Amino acid sequence: MERLLVLPTSRAGWGLFIAFVVLVLAGTWPVIGWVNRATLVMGLPLLVVWSYLVIFACVVVMLIGNRIVERDDHE
Amino acid sequence: MNSPWPLLITLTYVAIAMVIGLRARAGRSMNSLEEWGVAGRSMGPVTLYLLIAAGSVSAYTFMGAPGWAYSKGVAVFYVAIYLSYLALVAWYFGPKVWQFGEQFGHVTQASAISDRYQSPALGALAALVMAIGSIAYAVLQTIGSAYILFVMSGGLIPIWLGVVLVLACIAVYLYASGQRAIGRTNAFQGVLMLIVAWAVGLWAVHSATGGLSFAGVFERIQAEHSEFLTLPGAGGDMSFSFWTTSIIVSMFSFMPPVWTQWMSASSARTIRRSATWLPTYYVVILPMVVVGFIGIFSLPELARADTVVLEYAMQHLPVVLVGLLGAGTLAASMSSSEPFIHSVSLSLSKDVLQPVLKLSDGVTGKLARLLILPIMFLVVAPLAIAEPGSLVMILLVGLGFASQVLPAFIGMFFWPRASRLGVMAGIVAGFLITVAFTTLWPHPMGIHAGFWGLMLNLPVFVAVSLITPATHAEVVERFFRIAAPRGFTQRGRRAAV
Repeated sequence: MERLLVLPTSRAGWGLFIAFVVLVLAGTWPVIGWVNRATLVMGLPLLVVWSYLVIFACVVVMLIGNRIVERDDHE
Repeated sequence: MNSPWPLLITLTYVAIAMVIGLRARAGRSMNSLEEWGVAGRSMGPVTLYLLIAAGSVSAYTFMGAPGWAYSKGVAVFYVAIYLSYLALVAWYFGPKVWQFGEQFGHVTQASAISDRYQSPALGALAALVMAIGSIAYAVLQTIGSAYILFVMSGGLIPIWLGVVLVLACIAVYLYASGQRAIGRTNAFQGVLMLIVAWAVGLWAVHSATGGLSFAGVFERIQAEHSEFLTLPGAGGDMSFSFWTTSIIVSMFSFMPPVWTQWMSASSARTIRRSATWLPTYYVVILPMVVVGFIGIFSLPELARADTVVLEYAMQHLPVVLVGLLGAGTLAASMSSSEPFIHSVSLSLSKDVLQPVLKLSDGVTGKLARLLILPIMFLVVAPLAIAEPGSLVMILLVGLGFASQVLPAFIGMFFWPRASRLGVMAGIVAGFLITVAFTTLWPHPMGIHAGFWGLMLNLPVFVAVSLITPATHAEVVERFFRIAAPRGFTQRGRRAAV
């Protein structure tokens, strides 16, 4: 079996892959350490606000992903 | 608690769930694995969204998560983050798993593993060991359900009776309508949980601060207990490494019911659309967690942290809201336990008993339906009533194992060279490390045991795969036509499959 790994095959695919990695990095160490402060933003702890920013960023990235997948017309 | 309303409201919810579950069948025959197991691959995006969302939001959201907020603080939000990452996982893998199921006839995760590696033994092994974690999870949720009935009835419904009642209700509609019942009841339970969580949360905030803004709660926490607003939390045990590795391990734990849910979709596109919006559902966690924070200054002497919302509700909220909280919590635990019971029954029938006893598909379909009864009443019920102290340990080991099956999926989606023996060796090595680092030396250096398991598992998997024969080329081609529809990236150029 000559083939190695499944990786993105287009520029848009690579962009999406990088966005997924950035999302995972945003919710884990060391990034989570930078928002680990006992301050409030809009009345909520900074870590909670950051968590929900990451959560809604996931939605935005997947919406963009849907456009890419449906534009390229493949599953 | 003397009012009959909380119990009446909770039992009304149970009655509605039963009616919805029974009607989900809609006259169809449920004796085939396709129909009972994966709802004839028919679920639309809204049902699938609520099915996955309600399935992932367990009694933990109504009891455990506020309890964590009460005892540790913001550390609890790692759950919301990993649930959103699971949506990313569903978005990428779900459509491919659906295509495997639709084209190759898989109805379980273990069937896909067995097919990819041409090894019924590996499929059966995966089914059996996944069943340990799944049953432990179902038992924990059943204990939560029985506890809610106990509290809502003011002690009139003892735990043993609550266990039997809840399991009997689930058994009736699960036997009758299978995955369709899970889809419909989870949709109802998902909406109910969202409404109840926000109603209870806002009412609790109003009773604690006189307003509806969460700011009043957190300003007081910041002034009096600021250690609850950062990691490692008030308990000092949620380090950055444990936060990070818990998220990663949870993200890669491909639990079997999730596969069944993906395979129940009407199309690959349906999964992608549902997964896209899935993270929005996790706003359900916020109000419940805020009640946990309110408990820090309102109920400082609480004996059991996970009862904080129930205790606060019974002391400060109107009885109707207490009843709705009971219904919402029961909905959360039932919506999470039923997919696991269904999936264990389906997988044991299809992936263990069918190959061993050489059963036809028709007999296996009937067996899968019947098998829920012994699973519920001979395994789940006695364990839930006995409440063994080691149950959480069994669950942790079970979930730790779930992440150790990762090599099987790497070989299915990313690496054609993965071999049957490589996967087996990786799983065994990873599982042993996970068990040891869960029981003997829990989470060394603050790193999740499952993560340590993966660190040994993955190199062993790669090394053994490279020195043992790969699966037949035509099988690999068949899988990778779906996993990599546009070919591979190979040393800087594209190679067609």
